[in-house]
Amino acid sequence: MTPFTTDRRNFLAGVGAVGAGALLSGCVTQTSSNSPTSQSSSGPVTLQSNLSSPQAKTALETLIAAYNKKGGSRAQLNTVASETFRTQLPTYLTSANPPDAYTWYPGSVAEAYAKQGLLLDLSDLWQGPDLSRYSAAMRDLCTSPSTGKKDFVPTDYYWWGFFYRKSNFAKWGVQEPTTWNEFLALCQTLKTKNVAPIGIGAGSGTAWVASAWFDYLNIRVNGATYHRELLAGKHSFNDPQVHKVFDYWGQALPFFDPNGTALAFQDATTSLLEGRTAMMLIGTFFADAAPKDALGDLDFFRFPVIDPKVPMAEEAPADGFFASSRTAHAAGVKDLLAYFATAEAQELYIKNSSGTVLPTHPDAKDNGTPLVVKGRKLIASAAQVTQFFNRDSSDALQPTADTALVHFLSKPKEVNSILTTWQRDAQQIWSK
Amino acid sequence: MAVLTMPRRRPGATRVPPLVLAFVLVPLLVEAAWVFWPALQGFYLAFTSWDGLAAPRSVGFGNFTTMVHDPVFRTALGNTVLWLLLFGGLSAALGLGAALLLQQERRGIGFYRAALFLPVVFSLVATALVWQGMYQPDGLINQVLRAVGLGGWQHAWLADQSTAFYAVIVPALWREIGYVMVLYLAGLKGIDPQLYEAARVDGASRWQQFRHVTLPQLSSVNAVVLSVIVIDSLRSFDVVWALTRGGPYHSSELLSTYMYSTAFQSLRLGYGSALAVVIFVLAFGVIATYLVRAFKEAS
Amino acid sequence: MAATQAPTRTVGAPTGTRPPADGNARAVRARRARTAGFHLTAGLLSLLWLLPIALVLVTSTRSFDDIAAHGMGSWPRSFTLANFGQAWNEGGQGHAMVNSLIVTVPTVLLSLLLASMAAFGLSRYDLPLRRTLLLVMLSGNLLPPQILLIPVSKLSEVIGIYDQLDALIGVQVGFGVGFYVFVLHGFMRAIPAEIQEAAVIDGAGPWQIYSRIILPLARPALAALSALSFTWIFNDLLWAITVLRTDSKMPITASLIGLQGQYVSLWNVIAAGSVIAAAPTVAVFLRFQRHFVAGLNLGAVK
Repeated sequence: MTPFTTDRRNFLAGVGAVGAGALLSGCVTQTSSNSPTSQSSSGPVTLQSNLSSPQAKTALETLIAAYNKKGGSRAQLNTVASETFRTQLPTYLTSANPPDAYTWYPGSVAEAYAKQGLLLDLSDLWQGPDLSRYSAAMRDLCTSPSTGKKDFVPTDYYWWGFFYRKSNFAKWGVQEPTTWNEFLALCQTLKTKNVAPIGIGAGSGTAWVASAWFDYLNIRVNGATYHRELLAGKHSFNDPQVHKVFDYWGQALPFFDPNGTALAFQDATTSLLEGRTAMMLIGTFFADAAPKDALGDLDFFRFPVIDPKVPMAEEAPADGFFASSRTAHAAGVKDLLAYFATAEAQELYIKNSSGTVLPTHPDAKDNGTPLVVKGRKLIASAAQVTQFFNRDSSDALQPTADTALVHFLSKPKEVNSILTTWQRDAQQIWSK
Repeated sequence: MAVLTMPRRRPGATRVPPLVLAFVLVPLLVEAAWVFWPALQGFYLAFTSWDGLAAPRSVGFGNFTTMVHDPVFRTALGNTVLWLLLFGGLSAALGLGAALLLQQERRGIGFYRAALFLPVVFSLVATALVWQGMYQPDGLINQVLRAVGLGGWQHAWLADQSTAFYAVIVPALWREIGYVMVLYLAGLKGIDPQLYEAARVDGASRWQQFRHVTLPQLSSVNAVVLSVIVIDSLRSFDVVWALTRGGPYHSSELLSTYMYSTAFQSLRLGYGSALAVVIFVLAFGVIATYLVRAFKEAS
Repeated sequence: MAATQAPTRTVGAPTGTRPPADGNARAVRARRARTAGFHLTAGLLSLLWLLPIALVLVTSTRSFDDIAAHGMGSWPRSFTLANFGQAWNEGGQGHAMVNSLIVTVPTVLLSLLLASMAAFGLSRYDLPLRRTLLLVMLSGNLLPPQILLIPVSKLSEVIGIYDQLDALIGVQVGFGVGFYVFVLHGFMRAIPAEIQEAAVIDGAGPWQIYSRIILPLARPALAALSALSFTWIFNDLLWAITVLRTDSKMPITASLIGLQGQYVSLWNVIAAGSVIAAAPTVAVFLRFQRHFVAGLNLGAVK
């Protein structure tokens, strides 16, 4: 009975406070400006994480445990489902007593928060022994264009490519393609082997993976610069250039797994590993959903060349952490993030995760498998690096892409109306 | 329905004990704090443009005029009406059917009733997960179709725009029919058996008995069923969201899912709130009309 | 409590009567055929209804390799109980189950206490505007909960109980109370006025009338609503993710969503998690089935 009585007492006290509190401090929309000093700054630093896949979650837990063992300030990890995390992030950041640090992505997708002054300025960390040695590209990516401050600590990055099982390609007697025509020929051959050539997992809540196809085709056909400008609202999704992207996509469409829009990418991974599909355009995070013994059999090739005149850009999104400007533990948060920026921490994370990501620290070693060596080479040779559809635009624009692309996957003939609708929906986001 | 609690007196003449007043006011205040006050703020947001971060900007009726020209809103509105009719109609009809089938006390009846009612106690999260499994490309439904030689009927049920809406209604019905059945079972139990005997003496057929005795006697149950169905239609959000998120390309979009994705995915919180206002007006309109009529009859 | 349950009454054909002693064989055969037909129809219907549940139970005991190789809908070729351990421990469902119970039990008690008080006042006294009040309270339940999400999370912050189970209890009570008042009002209104008048003559005040007369008489309704509201509150997801943000405080439904995020393609673990999450409400249902059934339509009590 004890919990009941306490809860009720607290609750009734709370109700009493409503009259005074809610009416006075009033409006819900006000990003409450209570000074963070009102709360205790002695507690642990809280890290709100969306890394909920088993391997990534364990890896981060191990990392926090290692950090806490070092003494000094303590950190507490809080993992929530990534969808919950995404819908709640604005609430977290605007609350008076927010979590201190967050897993998130650098670039445009963090910019909306930076603009509102919700992110902790980490510029002094970037002067530190580790971050100051990071690549210039990383530094630029973590600098907010509107405030000029560095507000992000990247810890790892990864690449996208066509992943396949070496043993299956050997069984079918096929090779990696490098050009678009070779790619289509490969699909044709695979089709005769009674396998769905191209797997995709754009159903069950992971429709966003379809954007990788759009990103890559646009980058290969129109170039990375045009792609970025398009996502920033400087061109229209109704442009002839965009139509051309879908012309190419249409050529590959007959080879897509017909179940692709009904499966989550994790289930599509199972299909790939079971040999029901032959290859899949995906980021290396998919390996988190794969049994570890299958990792050795995986290989990838880069998205084939379409127009040789267009410089080869690659998608290589970075992951990392930012912090709330309302944190009561600014020193503790910075200490934690500085630890994440060390080579030691990044190597520890890689060792405990699926190990298919690359560390951002120049001295940190990746896990050295042939797959990772090849991936590192891919990004190093890229003329330009893009992040991903939502990361190069905003989370708000992503649903418009999901609707348009999934529509295209099942009704490619309606491409004209799809693009008109897409432009209209996107306009509403841009003009918001 | 016609029982009046106390003899009616001249208005204002009654002295209500203060304790009774407190009895009513305390729960009312709790509800006001947690529901009405937040709702007022929600209504206020409906007249703004807000991304959840910067200060909201007042736009007057702008959100509502946008709605008129928003094709997704029209789709969602149409689907919501269709949902109310199909989900509401089918759960009422099938619930009544099941109640009629299972109304007699006989051997095994408890098991049958329990089986039909069991899904009611599942959370919508669990329900959605169960049916996601059923609808998987290699899930039970497709495997059964293949096994019985109807392989051609296999479908990506949730991913095909022509089937997604109906595929989502099925789990919603699966949860609702047992509930409605129980409501009707109790209603049927309350009917005076003498009415049937009288009808039989008059030579009424079974259909006539149903038509002229059962249905009229169930009218008060119908009121409850209606409220329950309308409320649950609005709550169907969870199962639709979990299964299709309103997709593919809005084919299973309801006002509630559109409201949620607008507000929390596209971060257009003002427009999302305006959609919520529309949902509320629709629901309240349907139920209030019915309740006001019921109250009038009662007094 | 059982005494107040309406005795089950057969409606329609008197099945209990035996055929006449001279034994009209044709009538007996027809009756047997009807019985067989009934059991066939009802049995098939029940089977259809239980099929998805059976699928989950079976899936929860299969190994991942089996499902990956043969598909969800195939005949099981493996059996393991390890999935339950995984969901309960690594998936964090054990902890979440405790949270759910800590929230659900006080919420049920508090909601029904408040609702019975209000329903008592509204149904037994000639309060001004009582119909309007009743409608207003019910209308709170008709609001699309989504419109309240952001204001409610800000409100709980203002009160200082954001990310505490108290906030979840508060919002659940506030949001549910309108409907319970409506239902209990319908029930209490049907209690004959003479009982109350007799008590008034004996000098009983409103508190005595409420606690000694009306509440005991409303016990079947309260029992039914307890069973029902337990399942509703236990099954809530939306409010939980609105006012809570720490995973160690999340109730079982949010934990199930988290589990799905964690083990997306591991359908066996997700199925085991669903079984765990559904077990308490199924247990309550099976234990208090009569209350569910008898009281579900209290709003319509004549």
